[in-house]
Amino acid sequence: MRLNHLSLTNFRNYARLELGLSDRLTVFQGANAQGKTNLLEAIHLLATGRSPRVGAERELINWLALESSLPYARLVAEIGAAGDAPTERLEVVLELARTPAPGGGGGNGPVVRKQVRINGVPKRGLDLIGRLRVVLFLPEDVSLVAGAPTERRRYLDIALCQISASYCRALGEYNKVLSQRNALLRRLRDEGGDSGQLAFWDDQAAEHGSVLLQRRAHAVSELNRLAAERQRDLTGGAERLQLGYLPSPDPAKVIASRSATGGDRFAFETAAREQTAGWLLAHLRATRGRDVAAGSSLSGPHRDDMAFTVEGHDLRTFGSRGQQRTAALALKLAEVQMMREATGDMPLLLLDDVMSELDAIRRRTLLDALAQVDQALVTTTDWDDFTPELLAQARRWQVAQGALERVTA
Amino acid sequence: MSQTLARPVSNLIELLSRLPGIGPKTASRLTFYLLREPNGLAEALSTALAALSVGTVLCQRCFNIAEQSPCPICADLSRDQTLICVVEEPMDVLAIERTGAYRGIYHILHGALSPIDGVYPEKLRIAELMERVRVGEPREVILATNPSLEGENTAAYIYQQLQTSGVSITRLARGLPVGGDLEYTDEVTLSRALEGRRSM
Ligand SMILES: Nc1ncnc2c1ncn2[C@@H]1O[C@H](COP(=O)(O)OP(=O)(O)OP(=O)(O)O)[C@@H](O)[C@H]1O
Ligand SMILES: [Mg+2]
Ligand SMILES: [Zn+2]
Repeated sequence: MRLNHLSLTNFRNYARLELGLSDRLTVFQGANAQGKTNLLEAIHLLATGRSPRVGAERELINWLALESSLPYARLVAEIGAAGDAPTERLEVVLELARTPAPGGGGGNGPVVRKQVRINGVPKRGLDLIGRLRVVLFLPEDVSLVAGAPTERRRYLDIALCQISASYCRALGEYNKVLSQRNALLRRLRDEGGDSGQLAFWDDQAAEHGSVLLQRRAHAVSELNRLAAERQRDLTGGAERLQLGYLPSPDPAKVIASRSATGGDRFAFETAAREQTAGWLLAHLRATRGRDVAAGSSLSGPHRDDMAFTVEGHDLRTFGSRGQQRTAALALKLAEVQMMREATGDMPLLLLDDVMSELDAIRRRTLLDALAQVDQALVTTTDWDDFTPELLAQARRWQVAQGALERVTA
Repeated sequence: MSQTLARPVSNLIELLSRLPGIGPKTASRLTFYLLREPNGLAEALSTALAALSVGTVLCQRCFNIAEQSPCPICADLSRDQTLICVVEEPMDVLAIERTGAYRGIYHILHGALSPIDGVYPEKLRIAELMERVRVGEPREVILATNPSLEGENTAAYIYQQLQTSGVSITRLARGLPVGGDLEYTDEVTLSRALEGRRSM
């Protein structure tokens, strides 16, 4: 799958952009705050339905456009297989609606309405994901290792959603079920009532949660295998990286006698999905009292985490900044490989100003990866981050204040 | 709202925009339309609105909205009074009646259980349904709540509550849309249609 054309209207500092992207490699150079990240952000949003940056969605709409009577931003990607296969048109429109949310008491200001169209037909946000698969490298990727568990879950979810529509659906359902279950738990804690009302939500949480547990367990073991190889390349064989899945509930910690496997530790890897659902359901039932007392769901895949260790040392606490950065890079490179193995198709690589942070050997590994993909978009502040040979193969653009200018010399 | 608008106008715009699906832009368009419309639509509307609360009652058997209680459906003795179809909203009754395929009676819950929205069993006509089943001893209760998460939850809860009553409980089958193409049906609908299959 390739991204052939990108057009932006009122997105961030791009009032209007039409960008043909027929080349395998495109490099965007520009000083700080000119719109390099914004460009990759737009592509990520078209690919996954979400911006990789945290923050309010209204910030995506161009400030000048916000002054108009009907503020909106439009993003369109034309994608297609190589050759003359029919192209698909992905479109996201962000509209600032001044209406307060229905039923809400108002006062929470304007809301952004996100509309998705595929080939002109209105679709749900979910339908967007997986059509244009991307892996985005950011300087702040280091926080994947050092940051909070939420970041690692979010990372896994975005990767897995791009690979599997059924994962994405299970995730959406699980999140809905979780908020209902939590609302009910809060009420049971505060006002009491029939805890039998939980039965349905337990069933649903187990049904959808089991999909998340199994797919994540599988993905992390894949990533572990692939990232170890990349880590070897990145460190010249000096460091052995291990990724571990820390599921919730954790079979290692749940009393074994409860599991259907007769005392053995429950293993997602070998269990059928229904067995995992049964195991999770049994756990939710057994810990119901605790959940009611807390007024929220204390266990479940919404509490999952991932561990990074080098030679048995937890990188999150013991890793140097450089080690954390390397592990994050190995993880991202492993993700590229995992996507290819899972879908048979290379993802689009988006590299946002990552070269400058890396030493020579890490740069070389990344450039090797770059050489293997079907398409890559790369940003930099400095042309000197790249060899003349690489630049000679690339289409080059200069970014200045939300406008692009072709560089040929 | 701008100070320059006459109060009755801004008032109506504000009220209309509280309706579901109507934003302030549509609300002002409707308001100005009513203001200029020559055929007395505004008066007719205001009469109709006033009659809405005065002229309607809740049927004390099925809790449908009707002009009197019992409603025409409950009062119709040619209908099978031992078959109760449980739905979320009065509009659902209309949809089922349009099929012409159902000859039983109804029970309207007025919503679906949804903890996030603060809708718990006591907010719905669930206790009244239990009472109907206890007293009336129907032969079958059909749970026709929506196939949404909340609708399924409501059906599961009622099922749980009715299990010991001895009444036969069925759930509306969720099948393929008529004219739908198997190939283009999403997995969820298709797997549900498979689950709900019946022998021929
Ligand atoms: N909604 C918006 N409307 C207009 N301009 C915006 C909006 N949001 C961000 N910007 C502008 O976009 C610019 C930042 O763009 P971006 O993050 O892409 O920079 P960059 O080229 O990646 O810079 P760096 O090299 O520092 O990472 C800033 O000048 C910021 O003021
Ligand atoms: Mg940037
Ligand atoms: Zn009635």
